[in-house]
Amino acid sequence: MVNLEQLKEEAKKILSSGKIKYLIGYENIGASWQVRPAFICRPEDVDRLVWTPACFHNLTRFIHDEKRKRAREKNPDLRPIGLIIKGCDSRSINVLLQEKYLERNEVYLIGVSCELAGVIDETKLRNHLGGLKPEKILFGEKDTIKVIVNNEEREIPAPQILAKRCLECPANYPVIADIILGEKIKRNPTDRYKSISQYEKMSGPERWAFWLEQFSRCLRCYACRSVCPMCYCDECVADSIAFAVTAETTAEEKAQKIRWVERNPEPSENIFFHLVRAIHLAGRCVDCGECERVCPVAIPLRLLNQKMEKEAKELFGYEVGFDASQPPLIACFRDNDPQDFIR
Amino acid sequence: MAEEFEPKIVAFLCKWCSSAGADLAGVSRMEYPPNIIPIQVMCSGSVSPLYIFSALSQGADGVLVSGCHPGDCHYMKGNYYARRRLALVKKLLEYIGLEPPRFQMSWVSATEGVKFTQLIKELVKELQPLGPQTKLRRNF
Repeated sequence: MVNLEQLKEEAKKILSSGKIKYLIGYENIGASWQVRPAFICRPEDVDRLVWTPACFHNLTRFIHDEKRKRAREKNPDLRPIGLIIKGCDSRSINVLLQEKYLERNEVYLIGVSCELAGVIDETKLRNHLGGLKPEKILFGEKDTIKVIVNNEEREIPAPQILAKRCLECPANYPVIADIILGEKIKRNPTDRYKSISQYEKMSGPERWAFWLEQFSRCLRCYACRSVCPMCYCDECVADSIAFAVTAETTAEEKAQKIRWVERNPEPSENIFFHLVRAIHLAGRCVDCGECERVCPVAIPLRLLNQKMEKEAKELFGYEVGFDASQPPLIACFRDNDPQDFIR
Repeated sequence: MAEEFEPKIVAFLCKWCSSAGADLAGVSRMEYPPNIIPIQVMCSGSVSPLYIFSALSQGADGVLVSGCHPGDCHYMKGNYYARRRLALVKKLLEYIGLEPPRFQMSWVSATEGVKFTQLIKELVKELQPLGPQTKLRRNF
């Protein structure tokens, strides 16, 4: 189990050395079990840090905000920013390094291993407790999660309330980090692509009916885009308003911007948006599952991204996020890539 | 008598091979169905998945991307990139539930006028029984 005191100590050490600008970690919201990202600038604030199974956020996302802010500032503070990362977050750092969006010395990484647990799924927890409100959620011994309900401690086997993405996680420890806390234990290998297998077996029309129903619900709130650690473009084809306007942008350029997809939440446009998103994330998505977690209408977005991940693995032998030195999936090729679909 | 459905096919043809192949079919006066809307692109590697989705969204019944044979690309490796990227697009469209023949890819060189006419004939024959594409068409 990751020792919280050790985590705080490491955080304090690096913060007081002045090597990093600030550290992004997790803190409790008031006295509840819920957790939010915490930005810690001073060594004396490290006591706010927590590490529980409710730390689901992928903090890599905040690098984009920091980079944008730096680009605007006159004399930016160029010290690296500290991040507390889990296994999935470390893979997203690797992808950003691969794409040369980020330099390794721009971030200081404190890796925490999920060991035999991971992060919880709120819906699963709610169903498990049958409406009771948890007060605290902590890592238990081995692969259990301790939940305190009505001052009474309950040990729940982790697989019962863990998020699906954690049960299918390919590496539940950081693959890149400056310090790693906790042990590198790999959970028993489960089927990597368990979630999508049932949809792959369906016939075409059945799948279409399923996806049409899912996408019709989409509100186009772009929460999935906002939370994604890979979505850092200044312009987005899916959103006709989000395009970079500088002093040199002429009125004509603004008027002639191609609208690939309309902003109406109509099924046809929603499908277009999600197709573009899936293809854009092919070979980049690290399966951190944040898009699915934040979706207000519960669209199973992981099913799309996982499918692309699976195809990348099967067709091109490409695994996402393990090696920062290899080129991105669609920026490289092999002579013997499959081409049986080509006439 | 009910008229047979005539599918509309948007074809992205690379300038150096497939476009020339289509041209050859034309100047050699070979006959092929007029269902195809050719769009010349500089390289099959320049075809963004966005073009394909956009064509389908604007009412194409089928999309064809055609480039040079592997090894023949004018830009050395554009078609290799296209092959990888469009393989993913094809898988994704099938996963969403679109009929597989709606998106096709082919290698047609500048000398293969016959292959091009053959390909278009086959494509039209495959798309006819499927009827109009309504799944991804913009409907508002």
